Parts: sequence; structure tokens; C-alpha cells
Amino acid sequence: MRSQWRTLALYAVLTLVSIVWIVPVLGAAAIAILPLDQSTKGWWRADASTATLANFRRVWEGGLSGYALNSLIIAVLSVLITLAVGTLAAYAIARMRFRFRTIVQVMLLTTMIVPVQIILIPLIPWFRTLGLNSGSWQYLGIALVHTAFGAGWAIFMLSSFFEAIPNELIEAAKLDGASSLKTFTTIALPLAIPGIVSFVIIDFVFVWNDLLMGLTLLDADHRPMTVGLANLNAPQLNQDDLISAGSILAILPPLLLFALLNRYYVRGLFAGAVKG
Amino acid sequence: MMPSRARTASAKSRGRGSESRLAYLFLAPMLAIFVGFYVWPALATLSSSFFTWGMLNPWRVDRPDLWVSAGVSNYTTTLTSADFWNAGLNTAVWLFVFPVLVVTISLALSLLMWEAKRGAGFFRSAIIVPMTISLAAVGVIWGFVYNPNPDKGLLNAGLRLIGVGNADLTLGPLELHLGRWLSNPGVLHIGGLDVRLTNIMIIIPAVWAFVGFGVITFTAGLTSVPAELLEAARVDGASRWQTIRHVTLPSLRPSVIVVVVISVIFALRTFDIVFVTTGGGPAQDTEVLGLLLWQQAFQFLDSPRAGQAAAIAIIMSVVLIAGAMPFLRKNGASS
Repeated sequence: MRSQWRTLALYAVLTLVSIVWIVPVLGAAAIAILPLDQSTKGWWRADASTATLANFRRVWEGGLSGYALNSLIIAVLSVLITLAVGTLAAYAIARMRFRFRTIVQVMLLTTMIVPVQIILIPLIPWFRTLGLNSGSWQYLGIALVHTAFGAGWAIFMLSSFFEAIPNELIEAAKLDGASSLKTFTTIALPLAIPGIVSFVIIDFVFVWNDLLMGLTLLDADHRPMTVGLANLNAPQLNQDDLISAGSILAILPPLLLFALLNRYYVRGLFAGAVKG
Repeated sequence: MMPSRARTASAKSRGRGSESRLAYLFLAPMLAIFVGFYVWPALATLSSSFFTWGMLNPWRVDRPDLWVSAGVSNYTTTLTSADFWNAGLNTAVWLFVFPVLVVTISLALSLLMWEAKRGAGFFRSAIIVPMTISLAAVGVIWGFVYNPNPDKGLLNAGLRLIGVGNADLTLGPLELHLGRWLSNPGVLHIGGLDVRLTNIMIIIPAVWAFVGFGVITFTAGLTSVPAELLEAARVDGASRWQTIRHVTLPSLRPSVIVVVVISVIFALRTFDIVFVTTGGGPAQDTEVLGLLLWQQAFQFLDSPRAGQAAAIAIIMSVVLIAGAMPFLRKNGASS
């Protein structure tokens, strides 16, 4: 009897907490699909039959589509570069013996700890010197900064996946006369693919969600969606309909990735967590 | 070029020297980007913090003729300025409140879900979802919750429902103004210090977004609690609470450390959510170091205070590295 009450209380608390966790997002979504004259009466009291996608269309055509494209380009480019250089580096750290291994690893890991703000200020003149401050070159510039700053996270996650590959497989390939690069591309990379998928999702979400670097390093035509959202968020303008629709559109890609590839997402964080 | 070189290297000998060379080849692209876009800018921040300059005429290493030396004055000005200590106090509130809330809430939830077993996946998903949301969007979404108009904001609608409205309360040193969540929710007077609760109102959404990480980490930790220990506790007739207190919690220590370290790092970097919700206001009640630095360098491009901003960045990093060194060392050594 007592344990039944306990179970009931347990599920009641968990249900309540889940509702509290979901309601802010639900509220924003409700405001996003309601006409402004409905949502200003309180979205929880609105007439559901007035629901419309018009807000999404207006905010998208009103300029958010450009920001969304920028976010997509920046995120894809950053993930590709980080993956290309990160897997090579993580493999070396996980699987090879060399003199400065620990120093290199600790140095790369400092990027997980030091605040981004420490590199932000000199980057602007530095981009100008390198010619990364104009036109589409800015995408490359910010992607390289994301790569450098994601180095620690990439090494942390990816090397744990490479470490998990059984030694015999690597040794067998070597005995067959495969070069190290060949062993890497034909044995290690394919075996690490589940881990790599996890990393890609987490890195994509991380870059997609960046505000500070996009705001600081890019000109108005190349800024990401987070900046577009911050610009929309002016309370005195009475445009809750546009702000909420914009926020829902901005959180949709990471949310979909999470919904579709939930398992990989959680496993990636598990890997980091277990290793720490 | 690289494959053939690697092949001859491995064919000739598997000695340490060739493996070293190969390792550096694998590392070279990452290290090049790392040096170009992290080490070099960080060093430039450090050196430029000893000069007076602004973003319109940035400090450049190749133009010594334009340098205006400031000695350590950027540091002394910063460390004696009221703005810095105000932002420092608010950052300290973040550094304390954020990790404490994240750890206690996610630990409690993980234990509850662990007990629940059936349906735990569903509850976990609900808690983890906000993790994927950018802090800029978190600020926007919670802006609706905090809306002071009881017709629009859920919290004030709730207050109106229970008939409280915009009540002012005083509980000992705690002064509360219900309903004004982001403008003036209250003050906690500790001795001579006035801690503005507006910070807490911004920390709460950040906690909401971050708890998912804690839950994932603690759940991973719970799966690794030795089954024999739990069994032994059961055989000894320990109550559920005793088991949690004496077996589960001690085994979770490493997970707690991970969550504390990562949330402290996160709290010190704070920028996005403050920028989007209050921009550091009202007055400077929610100004944090990460935002102060940005404003000094970028908000007034013609002011020559970028050197001071660089000094703040250096101070923040030194504090963080000093605090996190034990964690880093452990990590470097363990793998």
C-alpha cells in the first residue's frame, strides 16, 4: 500500500516537472501561431480556431530567411572543417605515442575552459589583415574561429571514440601492410561513425546557437539567426507575434536533429560525461 | 603526397621517431587553425592589455610606431572601477547560484527518474529538450513567461489568479516585489551588500536550459553505481533513503564534479541571455563581466577602452584557468 502511494507521488512529481519544463516552449509556440489580437489576451485563453501560419511567413519574408541561410552556411562549414581536422588530431592523440602528447592535449582542452571573450577583441583587426572581413570570406573566418574554439570539445569527444576501437583491429591492419593514413580511413573512421554522428549533431547545435561571435565578427549581411532574433526582441515594438515565430523557427533545426537522432545526441554527451 | 610518405615511414620502421612524425602530420591542420585563431588572438589580447587603444584604431603588433603604452593602468583602472566590481558581484552571483541550482535540480530529477524506471525516457526527453535551444531563444521564450502584463505573461496571470497581483513583501533581509520579474523583482541585503534578484530571474531560464545536461551526466553516473553495493545495502536492510545517501551519492561524486565544473565555466562566460533579456539593465543590475567587456570594446567604438576590455578578458581567464587546472590535469593524465 505504502509503495503504491510512493509510486503515485513519484509520477505526479515527474509529470508536474515535465509540464513546467515544456510550458515556456508551448507558450512561445502558441503565441507564434495566434494573431496578435488573440495572443495579447493571453495565449491560454485564445480562440484556437484563429490559429494561423501567417506570423511565420511574415517574419521569414521580413528578413529572417537571410539570417537562417547565414546560420546554415556557418554551421555546416564549421562542422565540416572541425570534423576534417578534428578526427585526424583526435586519432593521433588517442592512438599514437609522441613526445608532447600530454601538452598538446591539455593545450587544446583549454579551449573548453577559457571564455571566448579572450580572443574576440583582436580577431577583428586580424580578420582585416587576413582578408576574412568582407563578403563571403567572413563565413570562412568565423568557421575557423569555431573550429579553433571547438578544438577542445572535438578532442575530448572524438578521442574517446577512437580509444574505444579494439587494438587488435588496428594492429591487424598494420600487419597487412596498410599505411597509417589507410588504417585511419578504412578501419578507424568507419568504426567511429556512431561517435562521429554524435559529435556532428552536438557541434552543429553549438555553432547554430552561437550569438556572441556572430554578433561581433560579422557584418550585418552575414549575421546568424540568433542575432536576427535579438534584433527582433524589442518589447516596445509590440511584435510578440513576430518574435515568437522567429524564436520557434530558430529552435526548430536543433530540435528536429534532437528528435530524429536523440540516441546519438545523448550518447555523445554520455561519452563526454563518462570520460570526465 | 601524404599517403606515400606515411607508407614509407611505417614500412621502414615502427620506431618511436617515425610514429612521432606521423602524429604531428595528423595534428598539423588542427594545430595550424588552433594557433592562428586561438593562441595568436589570445596572446594579442594579453599584449594589447598593456596599451591604450580603441576599436577604430586597433592595437597592431606590426605597428609599434602607433603603440600608446599604458603600463598596468588598464588593470589598475579596471580593478578600481565601480562598474567592474558591480559586474563582478553579479558574475559571482551567477558563479554560485547557477551551479548550485543545476546540480541540486538535476540530481533530484535523475534520482526520481531512476526510481521511476518505466516512462523515465519520456520525462528525460522533456527535460533535455530545452538543452538544444540557443540562449538567445531561451531569453526570448522566457521573456513571454515574465511579461509584466497579466494578460500576456503566464507568471503574472498566475499571481492575479491567486489574488496577489504586484505585492511587495519583506522577509527579513529579503525584499520582494512580485510581478516585476525583470525590472525590479527584489533585493537581498547581506551586510552592506545589496544583491539584486534580477540576476536570479535571468539565471532561472539558463538553469531550465542546462538541467538536461546534468540529468544526462547523472544518469550516466547512476548506471555505473556498482550493483553489488546496492545489493549489499538491500541485504543489510538499509532504507531507500539510506541507500541513496550512503551508496548512490558517494558513487556519483565524479559526475557531480563534472557538472559543477562545466556549469561554473558556463556561468563565467555568460553573455547571450543577459544581452537578449535585459542588456545588463535596469541600470546595471544584471551587468556581468562577459557583457561589460563586450560593451567596453564594441559598444562605443570611438572610446579608447578596448585595452581595458582586454584586461577584463585576461582577469576572467586567469580566474577560470586557476580554478579549472586540477580538472584539466586529471583529464590530461587519465587518457
